[in-house]
Amino acid sequence: MAKKEEKKIAEWMYSIIRRPHITEKATLCAAHNQVVFRVAMDATKPSIKSAVESLFGVKVKAVNTLISKGKTKRFRGKPGMRSDEKKAIVTLEEGQTIDLAAGI
Amino acid sequence: MQATEIRSEGLNRAYEITIPAADISARVDLHLVKVGKTLRMPGFRPGKVPMPILKDRYGKAVLSDVLQEAVNETTTSLMKDKGLRAALQPKIEVKDFDDGKDLVYTVAVEILPEIKLAAFKDITLERPTAKVTDEAITETLTRIAAQQRQSEPAAEGHKAAKGDIVVITFHGRTVADGKEHPGMHAHDFSLELGSGQFIDGFEDQILGHKKGESFTVNVTFPDAYQVRDLAGQAAAFDVEIEEIRIPKETPIDDALAKALGMDDLAALRGAVEEQMKAEYGRMSRMRLKRSLLDALDEAHVFDVPQGMIDIELETISRQIESERKQAGAPDEMSDEDREELQSIAERRVRLGLVLAEIGRANGIEISDQELQRAVVQEARRYPGQERKVFDFYAKNRQALDSLRAPLFEDKVCDFVLELARISDVEITAEELAAEDDRPAPKSRQAKKSGGKAAAKSPTEKPEKPAKTAKKSGEKAEEDAEKPAPKAKAAKAKKEK
Repeated sequence: MAKKEEKKIAEWMYSIIRRPHITEKATLCAAHNQVVFRVAMDATKPSIKSAVESLFGVKVKAVNTLISKGKTKRFRGKPGMRSDEKKAIVTLEEGQTIDLAAGI
Repeated sequence: MQATEIRSEGLNRAYEITIPAADISARVDLHLVKVGKTLRMPGFRPGKVPMPILKDRYGKAVLSDVLQEAVNETTTSLMKDKGLRAALQPKIEVKDFDDGKDLVYTVAVEILPEIKLAAFKDITLERPTAKVTDEAITETLTRIAAQQRQSEPAAEGHKAAKGDIVVITFHGRTVADGKEHPGMHAHDFSLELGSGQFIDGFEDQILGHKKGESFTVNVTFPDAYQVRDLAGQAAAFDVEIEEIRIPKETPIDDALAKALGMDDLAALRGAVEEQMKAEYGRMSRMRLKRSLLDALDEAHVFDVPQGMIDIELETISRQIESERKQAGAPDEMSDEDREELQSIAERRVRLGLVLAEIGRANGIEISDQELQRAVVQEARRYPGQERKVFDFYAKNRQALDSLRAPLFEDKVCDFVLELARISDVEITAEELAAEDDRPAPKSRQAKKSGGKAAAKSPTEKPEKPAKTAKKSGEKAEEDAEKPAPKAKAAKAKKEK
């Protein structure tokens, strides 16, 4: 994808970064200068990196991603599936912060 | 907290209070920690939500609570420091506050005046008392006998005369529209001719008729009739006389006593005397109390907080207003009335304060038992619904307080009466009852704290003596008070 327009905010960036993932574990990560997002299933590490950098105006050191599989649930006896979700743990460069609560 | 006095005149005080921002944020944090202990938030176990997130999400919401608390706390501590006793809830106005800035607000308050209690020993009072005379007892007995009066059917062909009781069936309609209004008909209604129970002219037109006759009675409702639709209207009633009865004198003897459930005449007399004595005692106590309150009112001069007077005034006038509405008098209160109310209100508040002060100074309190007794007494007034009454008071603190007020007042009065110099003056029963109705400001019910005062209606008291023998003649009374047709019974004249 468009690697060259890193500093520009593009529409696809908003669709990649779904929302911040705020949990106990995520706040623990904050101590290591890491931020956790829910991202689109088809987002790649490079695209996440460029999106975070341009949307929040920070430097990203690394991105780790994981896909957590949705649970199988039964509803009225019929098996169902919760959708899978992709999380991205973004490590920021030293001295950079993101105010997650402020929103995008 | 920093407080500066900005006004102090008479009973009015005003302060400006500053609470530093740091103080407030510390309070907010404290509050948040408390909230965070139990707060459920997705992604966190209860009690594990980190402070920054809490602050971010709930800081604003908590802030208003915290401000209120801070203001209340500082206000009370201010009152304590300065040794003020507020007459009413202080008026608080926030002048300046923003996130991270100091909170500045003003407190305007009316304080309770310093009351210097008069020496109760110097209060001289007269206690009017009355003896129960034989004549009074006899009179009451006669009245009871009259209520017990029996009647016997008159001979055929007897013409209805004054004093007779006619049993009639009537259907009425207004002449104007020929319609029958509610209450304009009745079957087998016992009407005593000459009793003035029905509107003028009705009874006169029955005179001279015989049993079994049917005829029409034409009357005009008086202009001041209590049913608005009918006032001033002409009406025609088709009347049929079912029966004519002639009343029989009931002698006052053992038979009468037996009919009333007593053993013999002597017992009946005793019961009546007992009751009248109690009644007189009550009246004389009331009079004594009133004069005591008068004396206290005179003996204590101080400024009364205007705010309390205003509240009291409003309570009274609202009550009077609603009474007027019920009575159907549409006219507004005159200025004169207002002025009188004003003075009544002031007197009530003043007495309330004095009584409260006396109670406070002498450690007079209403114990729970006494309150309980009052509730029981109250419950007894509603036979069959005692349970409900108890429940009502158990659940309703305010109602309980309104019971407490008169109790407290009574107790304080007793206390003062014990100290005051009282001389007995004997007067006749009539005087005792009569002066009770004097129109002077009836504010004997000044309440503990003027604000709550359940203003007693000034119309409530007259005609007590008439009820003296009520209990012993209760059965008779019931007979006598058979529900008369609403629209016709009781002429307007009687209403008053």
